Amino acid sequence: MVTGTIPIVARDDGEIKKTLSENGFNLTVTEARRVAELLGRDPTVVEITIFNTMWSEHCSYKSSRKTLGEMLPTKAPNVVLGPGEDAGIIRFAEAEDGDWYCLVIAHESHNHPSQLLPYEGAATGIGGIVRDVYCMGADVVGVLDPLRFGDPAGQKGRQSIAIARGVVEGIAGYGNPLGVPNLGGDIVFDAGYDENCLVNVVAVGIVKESRILRSRVPDDAAHKPYKIILVGKPTDDSGFGGAAFASEDLASEEEANRGAVQVPDPFLKRVLAEANKRVFELAERQGSAIGFKDLGAGGISCATSEMAHAGGFGVTIHLDRVNLAVGQYPPAVVSCSETQERYALAVPLEMVDDVLQIYNEDFDLPHIYHGAGAVVIGDVLEEPVYRIESGDRVVCEAPIDVITTGISYDRARKPRRGRFEEPELDASRSLHDDFLSVISSPNIASKNYVFKRYDSEVQGRAVLRPGEADAGVIAPLEGRDVGLAFSVDGNPFYGIIDPYQGGALAVCEAARNVAAVGAVPSTITDCLNYGNPEIEEVFWEFSEGVRGIGDACRGIGLISHEGNPLPVVSGNVSFYNQGESGKAIPPSPIIACVGVAEDFSRCRSIQWKDEGDAVYYIGEPLDELGGSEYYRVIYGTLGANVPEADFIREKNQIKTVIEMHSNGWVRACHDTSQGGLLTALAEMAIGGRGSGRLGLKVDLEEFAGTGLEPEKILFSETGGFIVELPAGIERDVLALCARNRVKLYKLGTLTGRSKLEVLLKGERLAHWPIDELRDVFMDGCRGIFGLEKKN
Amino acid sequence: MPETFQDKVAIIQFPGVNCEYETARAVRMVGLEAELFRWNEDPHMLDHCSAVILPGGFSYQDRIRAGVVAAKDKIMGKVSELAREGRPVLGICNGAQVLVESGLIPGIHWERVDLALAPNIMADREGYYCTWIYLRCEESGCVWTRAFRTGEVVPMPIAHAEGRFAITDRDVLGEMEKQGQIALRYCTPAGEIDERFPVNPNGSVSNIAGVCNAEGNVLAMMPHPERATWLRQVPEDLGGPWGGKRTSSSGDRNGLEAEGPGMMFFSSLAAKEVDE
Repeated sequence: MVTGTIPIVARDDGEIKKTLSENGFNLTVTEARRVAELLGRDPTVVEITIFNTMWSEHCSYKSSRKTLGEMLPTKAPNVVLGPGEDAGIIRFAEAEDGDWYCLVIAHESHNHPSQLLPYEGAATGIGGIVRDVYCMGADVVGVLDPLRFGDPAGQKGRQSIAIARGVVEGIAGYGNPLGVPNLGGDIVFDAGYDENCLVNVVAVGIVKESRILRSRVPDDAAHKPYKIILVGKPTDDSGFGGAAFASEDLASEEEANRGAVQVPDPFLKRVLAEANKRVFELAERQGSAIGFKDLGAGGISCATSEMAHAGGFGVTIHLDRVNLAVGQYPPAVVSCSETQERYALAVPLEMVDDVLQIYNEDFDLPHIYHGAGAVVIGDVLEEPVYRIESGDRVVCEAPIDVITTGISYDRARKPRRGRFEEPELDASRSLHDDFLSVISSPNIASKNYVFKRYDSEVQGRAVLRPGEADAGVIAPLEGRDVGLAFSVDGNPFYGIIDPYQGGALAVCEAARNVAAVGAVPSTITDCLNYGNPEIEEVFWEFSEGVRGIGDACRGIGLISHEGNPLPVVSGNVSFYNQGESGKAIPPSPIIACVGVAEDFSRCRSIQWKDEGDAVYYIGEPLDELGGSEYYRVIYGTLGANVPEADFIREKNQIKTVIEMHSNGWVRACHDTSQGGLLTALAEMAIGGRGSGRLGLKVDLEEFAGTGLEPEKILFSETGGFIVELPAGIERDVLALCARNRVKLYKLGTLTGRSKLEVLLKGERLAHWPIDELRDVFMDGCRGIFGLEKKN
Repeated sequence: MPETFQDKVAIIQFPGVNCEYETARAVRMVGLEAELFRWNEDPHMLDHCSAVILPGGFSYQDRIRAGVVAAKDKIMGKVSELAREGRPVLGICNGAQVLVESGLIPGIHWERVDLALAPNIMADREGYYCTWIYLRCEESGCVWTRAFRTGEVVPMPIAHAEGRFAITDRDVLGEMEKQGQIALRYCTPAGEIDERFPVNPNGSVSNIAGVCNAEGNVLAMMPHPERATWLRQVPEDLGGPWGGKRTSSSGDRNGLEAEGPGMMFFSSLAAKEVDE
């Protein structure tokens, strides 16, 4: 019989509300009544704590599930595992033995914790996301981190800078010791994030298809005894209520919430990764089926109930056996705390001793980390019941499908009506000076002060590093030609004007970025960061963003398997991103795209390579400066004419660029997006390491047909590509572009004169020595992430 | 099974190191056998190993100071014994920190800690720093740099927060110089020694990037040769002869499998084995 219940059934709404708030639960009264109804009685403290976590927005997707299911394509021939588990999986190369090499990807947010405790919040963000990939049996080969911070020059500038620095430190402080290279990321600063930064994290891993582990008790448990082993850090009360906290507004009770931020430990994670590998090898050698799951939101209770439920079994957990940190914790804390660096395993009885030996003796966990280790905490039951015992008390007992019951809401939506206007252009302005302002603005300037804090070389697979190209590229398989390219994107300024375009353009840009290095866009993940979904305008922004993502995935499609969509295999929804003022962040869908390159040796950096080469622009500038960096920096306005995603154009351009790579033509390639054509040219001239020397002279007369002013041609953020190709193949280039129906402009020929010049009908509008551009571009973020220069 | 490491290069896996696999790959690339040795296995298993490498990472979480806990680990007694017998020992990054903290480097006074690897000092930033730098191979009797010409300049990646060679006793520095123990220095692409950042990326005294013992069989180096073993690992935009070689091999899959600048540390070891 269960003991220690919370009275719900016989109480009125007011009393329930009081009980819930006094005990720190976020469940609504209706939800609490539903819990009692499911159980057929009052819930115990442990039970209501479990539901409080499982029914949080973070875990349950209760507001978003329906929209996601309706709008996002998740199936394609390359997909092994779509959304629903810890990570998504696609095949990317056939192995010599007929097996498949698969890419595992997971994408999450750690926004609220990072706003309160930037270092710990960001570090545990990395810690959590790599665990999602490790737990599929994969080796983690990289992380990426899209970040959004407040305006460094704004009202809360000092705080925004402190948060930005703390977050970067935290990512470095976890990823570097773990030995996982940073493959890329992006940073956007805007006052819209002053009260609520965004720290999104992506982890990617490699596993052979036959070795994928599942987060479930194996079928073998039907005919032989299975035990549940808990391994890792000793359980404490850190992160208790973390998932529920992530689903609240960031209001004033910051101090009280700090305890909900978990404590990171990459060292233990690294040792566990090695020990886990030995366990997986042992299981494979013995031919034993095992289940493996990371402990994240909801801790022991969520992980073990989900594992058992997925396998169609039940489980009894004995809390007294859990290895604890110093201190005594009530059963609800031990069951549900989110202590980091822990995994749960379901292993057959005959394997238990060997598994314990690997963790506790071979890798000596109890001695290298105080209180760490592996212990048997539970028994798998044939009866589908979920039970937690503490001493001789039963603190939770219910049919397992009751414990894992989902919850869903239909949220109302209402379009947000904003007033957006185009600025009047001032023809007397200096193009020379304005451009220096644009490329030194923190949103455009080099992020080398950030990238160099991260280990981008560890594991020895790096081909193109952060900043060197539009996508980070690795050579994942020893002795094989295949390359993998990764990019993360999401421009919030488009979404403020039009949330549909915000979603659609994020997919387009991410796909374009992997195509720029010659890789075929093969899957995406989405992390959807919005405000409070109970507000109708916010939910409208969310559903418009998702609609845009879905349309873009179908519109661009899976180029390697014509007729199929670009599949979404994993993702995350983060609502309630707003601060004390109640103002939601800009709609911020962030997309990670994975590209597969048939030959990584053809993946090129953006930097111009050879004098005499021809520079082409694939695309056409339109009057689309809404949300552009130029309007924001020079005119202090967003404008109105946001780029409109044209999926057929995007697809044709992407195919063209990939074909150019396959033909071996491409010497350098860069997409035109934030900052427009001129910014892209300057970035190619400077190069990611700041070592570029070559110059270019561009005459805008080429674009006379567009009827646009020079500023609009140079700064429009209409998507396209710039490519450097060898001279003498112009006829082939034109034929390819005609065949794919893409527009092409020849911009000029690279010269040894280290200067970028813009002309109109032969008359010079402006020119910049490359050194001048380099200095302001490379130095633009020093004030935020670096120190005053000395020497 | 003490014979496990017979004629193999042992790569010591302390808890928290993270470069052991690519280091093993680099050793195998020059035709030698490499095997991981978990720190708490029987030290006698190493009796007949051909060489020892302490790879990079964060052994024991950099508790107290980088390398200091591992330096006191039981297995370092065996490594010290092998080093004294003349067995080649290489410490890369965190491994270099372990060698310094255990007194094997510079090894002028018996197991006394004469050097430190202190927090980086940089002109416009602080903390961990990951980039490519240039190294000049100095005149020394080091077995790990035999494949280089004296004065040869090569690019190499670094990634550390505590890589500044520091020394309080000027006599020890003088002694190190006299005995040819400064095997590697940070330099410009043209090979000049400029003490300023970013040529000297961490503020090391005398631009020191790597130190060997007087006998030349033990080397502690901060740069990561295992991350520069193949040409494909060299950045396209690096410039200089190696960057040029990398760029002109783009699109040539086999060309990129050619050796990178870091390979020579491992081929130095292979050459030594042939000599003996």
